[in-house]
Amino acid sequence: MPEPTPPPTSGPVAPERERAAHPAPEKEPEVTTGGPEPPPSRHEYASLREADPPVPFVPTAPSGLSRLMRALRAKPDLGQVAVGSLVGLLGFAAALQIQADDDDLLTRARRADLVQILDGLTERGDRLESQIAELEADRRDLISGADSDQAALEQATTRAQQLAVLAGTAAASGPGIIVTVTDPDVGVDALTLLSAVQEMRDAGAEAIEVAGAGDTQVRVVASSYFLDSGDGVEVDGVELRPPYRFTAIGEPETLASAMQFPQGVVSRITDKGGRATVSQEDALTVDALHEAAPHEYASPAPDDDAG
Amino acid sequence: MIPAIGLLLGIGAGVLLDVEVPLGLQPYLPIAVVAALDAVFGGLRAVMDGVFNDKVFVVSFVANVLIAAFIVFLGDQLGVGAQLSTAVIVVLGIRIFTNVATIRRHLFRA
Repeated sequence: MPEPTPPPTSGPVAPERERAAHPAPEKEPEVTTGGPEPPPSRHEYASLREADPPVPFVPTAPSGLSRLMRALRAKPDLGQVAVGSLVGLLGFAAALQIQADDDDLLTRARRADLVQILDGLTERGDRLESQIAELEADRRDLISGADSDQAALEQATTRAQQLAVLAGTAAASGPGIIVTVTDPDVGVDALTLLSAVQEMRDAGAEAIEVAGAGDTQVRVVASSYFLDSGDGVEVDGVELRPPYRFTAIGEPETLASAMQFPQGVVSRITDKGGRATVSQEDALTVDALHEAAPHEYASPAPDDDAG
Repeated sequence: MIPAIGLLLGIGAGVLLDVEVPLGLQPYLPIAVVAALDAVFGGLRAVMDGVFNDKVFVVSFVANVLIAAFIVFLGDQLGVGAQLSTAVIVVLGIRIFTNVATIRRHLFRA
């Protein structure tokens, strides 16, 4: 910035004044200090404008700016050093404070602000707490739901296995009896064999299989039928020839005694010219399978509990 | 010239040096800064008015800072620190505005 020397700076002031009012520059102080004094009537308005600015702003000698410039160029002395160090202190403190502002807002906050902030945080904490509780409850529900689902699945699987054994669609093993019927004269008819099966069922047989000569064997299920055929019996469409061998899984003692009571199965077979032997076994396997046909008319009745 | 250099040096030192403001001084530093600012603007105005005096400036600077800090300290002790510091800021702010207005008239004649 070019630095005008004092005279040129005050120079432009004078023409301006001349333009504004007639009084000569040397009379200027009079005009300003004696503002209320009636100026020449012709330039009433102009002189009023002249009187408007406050007293200090009519520089007679150097203007404020030129004074500032002069002060800037003044020779350094002790006073300037003192002023400089104080102003430097101000700059230092201001910079520190501004940086501290960036650092931490809480340390300088007033009590009311802190209380408000604390309130907000507490409220937020409460909200989050309740959210946590909600989510934990959800989690518990889901876990227990998974548990009960698991339990239900296990139960259903067990039940399905039991039903599969009952329906003859799964192999079964366990203790039971083997009844061997030899019938050289083919005198034992289907009815006798069916009554033997009924006796086994009555005695609690859980899985029954009947085998004929050769490799023919049939699983006996609820819908099994026995028919007389030429030289043997037909069970569920399979021709069986003597000797027959029943394998029944259940309580062996009960089954064996059910076979042998007076006028029972064994004696009836003997009457027909056959011979039956009963042996109790600890471990038997029934592995002939029945192929379940899909039901054409029956469908599961709606459960009363459901819904 | 020396004051201008001092101001720049001070700002530079404050920005570059990582000085922790002592905890006991923390509530008073902002007020002290504003008070010093008032003194500096007053001094600048005095320069332009042609009535500047080193001694007056130093005394008014130190006195401004100390009195402002003391008022805030007193307010804190009395339990009205927030209100009193607001009052000090308002007063100093008005003074700064007045001084700056005078300086402005000197500079722009308006």
